[in-house]
Amino acid sequence: MAIVNEGNLGIEPKVLTEIYRQMSRIRAVDKAVQAGLSAGKFMFSYWPMTGQEAIPATIAQLTSSRDYMITTYRGIHDQVAKGVGLDGLFAEMLGREDGINKGKGGSPHISDPSSGSMLTTAIVGAGAPIANGLAYAAKSRGEDRVTIVNFGDGATSIGAIHEAMNLAGVWKLPVIFLCQNNQIGEYTAIPDYTASKDFASRAAGYGFKGVKIDATDVAGFYREMKAVIEEVRAGNGPIFVEASTFRLGPHAGVGDNKNVAADVLAAAKEAWALQRTRTLLAEAGVCTAAELDAMDSAAQAEVDAALAMASASRVTPATETLIDVYADVDTVPRRGHYPMRADEIVPVGEPRQMMMFEAVAEAQDIAFARDEGVFLLGEDVGEPHGGVFGTNRGLQTKYGDRVRPTPIAETAIIGAGIGAALVGMKPIAEIMFVDFAGVCLDQIANHAAKQRYMSGAQTHVPLTIRMMIGGGMGGFGAQHSQSLEAWLTHVPGLKVAIPSNPYDAKGLLLSCIFDPDPCIHLETLMGLRGTKGDVPAGDYRIPLGVAKVRREGTDISLISYGWQVQQCLNAADELAKEGISAEVIDLRTLVPLDYHRVLRSVKKTRRALVVHAAVEFCGFGAELASTINEELFSTLKGPAIRLGAEYAPIAYARDIEMNQVPNAGSIAARVRAAMQQYK
Amino acid sequence: MAMTLTIPKLEMSMVEGTLAEWVAADSSTVSEGQVIYILETDKTARDIEAPMAGTLIHKAAAGETYEVGFEIGEIV
Repeated sequence: MAIVNEGNLGIEPKVLTEIYRQMSRIRAVDKAVQAGLSAGKFMFSYWPMTGQEAIPATIAQLTSSRDYMITTYRGIHDQVAKGVGLDGLFAEMLGREDGINKGKGGSPHISDPSSGSMLTTAIVGAGAPIANGLAYAAKSRGEDRVTIVNFGDGATSIGAIHEAMNLAGVWKLPVIFLCQNNQIGEYTAIPDYTASKDFASRAAGYGFKGVKIDATDVAGFYREMKAVIEEVRAGNGPIFVEASTFRLGPHAGVGDNKNVAADVLAAAKEAWALQRTRTLLAEAGVCTAAELDAMDSAAQAEVDAALAMASASRVTPATETLIDVYADVDTVPRRGHYPMRADEIVPVGEPRQMMMFEAVAEAQDIAFARDEGVFLLGEDVGEPHGGVFGTNRGLQTKYGDRVRPTPIAETAIIGAGIGAALVGMKPIAEIMFVDFAGVCLDQIANHAAKQRYMSGAQTHVPLTIRMMIGGGMGGFGAQHSQSLEAWLTHVPGLKVAIPSNPYDAKGLLLSCIFDPDPCIHLETLMGLRGTKGDVPAGDYRIPLGVAKVRREGTDISLISYGWQVQQCLNAADELAKEGISAEVIDLRTLVPLDYHRVLRSVKKTRRALVVHAAVEFCGFGAELASTINEELFSTLKGPAIRLGAEYAPIAYARDIEMNQVPNAGSIAARVRAAMQQYK
Repeated sequence: MAMTLTIPKLEMSMVEGTLAEWVAADSSTVSEGQVIYILETDKTARDIEAPMAGTLIHKAAAGETYEVGFEIGEIV
């Protein structure tokens, strides 16, 4: 037998053997899944990665469980090679309680922090912005971890990839954008969806290196990936890798890829690294046929045992439904379950008069000083403005790089916040106006909100998103004046706070920052720049889910939040002159919602009006009014009613805007009518 | 170890499939990966391969449409 060494093989024989061992394990998993699906033994959505085994099998030789990975729904090969246990992986794919994520994520949503598999997304391209956050955390902690985010060639068309690459370039993050170019995006192949000649050359546009590597040549792929990983680990910034491969299977299901010509598929099967590596190991004399067979048999035995264990595991029961939506199950709104949460402990700090924007800055200052993991990112958050509304004034001077001005890229901002939060940091992401939620809603609603649940609480996202709300000031126009809180409260997994005054803003924001779940702190412009009040010094917290009676009354409960609370108080003053006694409830938090105190108030007054600046139709008030009516039907003098903005975009013309959003006058008028009607 | 063959759910939208043709004969010996029957859905026709080696037993007639999960055969 010839002496085999790195010189004539192009790779150390031992390494090549280990790569084959991983490929064999991946192949055994893939075959077992496809066999079970085609026999009808089990049924779940599966996106085969047949043909792409060499990529993670090779990377596994160059990384450890300390390195972070993100991948996609077509990522079972990535999970196997990363070290996710096959028992938990199969049980997860089958939706069983012994699944790595309790069967709540399934095959497209694996999270296994113990192996470094941090998040798996079924939204094309969405992993890249989150990878930046993982890489940022490692970099800011002085760790030498590398983050690798896998995605298909199809993902190169979506904006999230662009935003993520741009941010990674400017922040020089230790992240590898690993495009597994399998030549086809779902059912549409190159060049039908792009005129680009390749993807690697795009990296130059972001100011960093891109390399195209043939991933069917394992020795060559190993050599080039070794150099890439070493360079990124050394802190030289991100690299984009286009790993050329081929998807031998269909987009979803089992069998062959029928979206390419038969001769193209046949050629790809010839070039399949799995078979070629096996042949190379045998022909070069590195492994005997018996040794190769033994590796395959061991992989098969491991898969058989895992599948048997998974099949025996109990199907995750419906009693799990509300577990892991939040850290505390009592946060979940449930009909008939209205827990009373304790109100805040009255702070003892010396009070100082300030505007709400100053209270927000002070809360952040306290959080920064208290916890090294707190950082702030967003557009223009640094000096000299300290955020366009001054909410961060002085923070960059005091805390330097922990205040991170970003490109104008909301998806990149929220993604980076999610990634850093996944590994225990406490990011504050500032989105200038809630109107921009639309451009980053996927990151908020599909990732931040769902990650605790989809991972079966293997991970969670202690991220705070601060968003400004316009409206009622005049002059901002239809795209900077909306009240979109109902979009956010409709997504299980998010908490939403909306202070009406500086004291609450400080205490609620501090609670949000140190909360284990993703919190959205909505700051109304009318509040930030329009309300002044006493704010105690030092750290104090207003518990989430505790409403406050702002004014006591006996005839009707006015239930509101944000700057509309002041409008309700002004209306109550007017109504008092006419002998109508209105109680004003400030919700302070929309999720968790304090139904206990709301119902207690309405039980007393027997009338209720919900007021908000958002459009009335399908607004948050519909939820409140409906529950009040259901719970207190026999007590009420009339149905709980609503007053929100008229159903139109906010107009630029001042007279229209002031008329369409509720104000003290229109609130008082609605109350008078209700008092007449419901005696 | 025998394996029951049922009409698989290969697309999210799939509720039934047509067993268009038995490619491998009843009681024949099949090897793993060998095409044993053709399944037609509203979208496409697919070759279904034997998930394991053994003797194929037909339990349902070709040319008929069956619900997902319906038992059509077995490999023993």
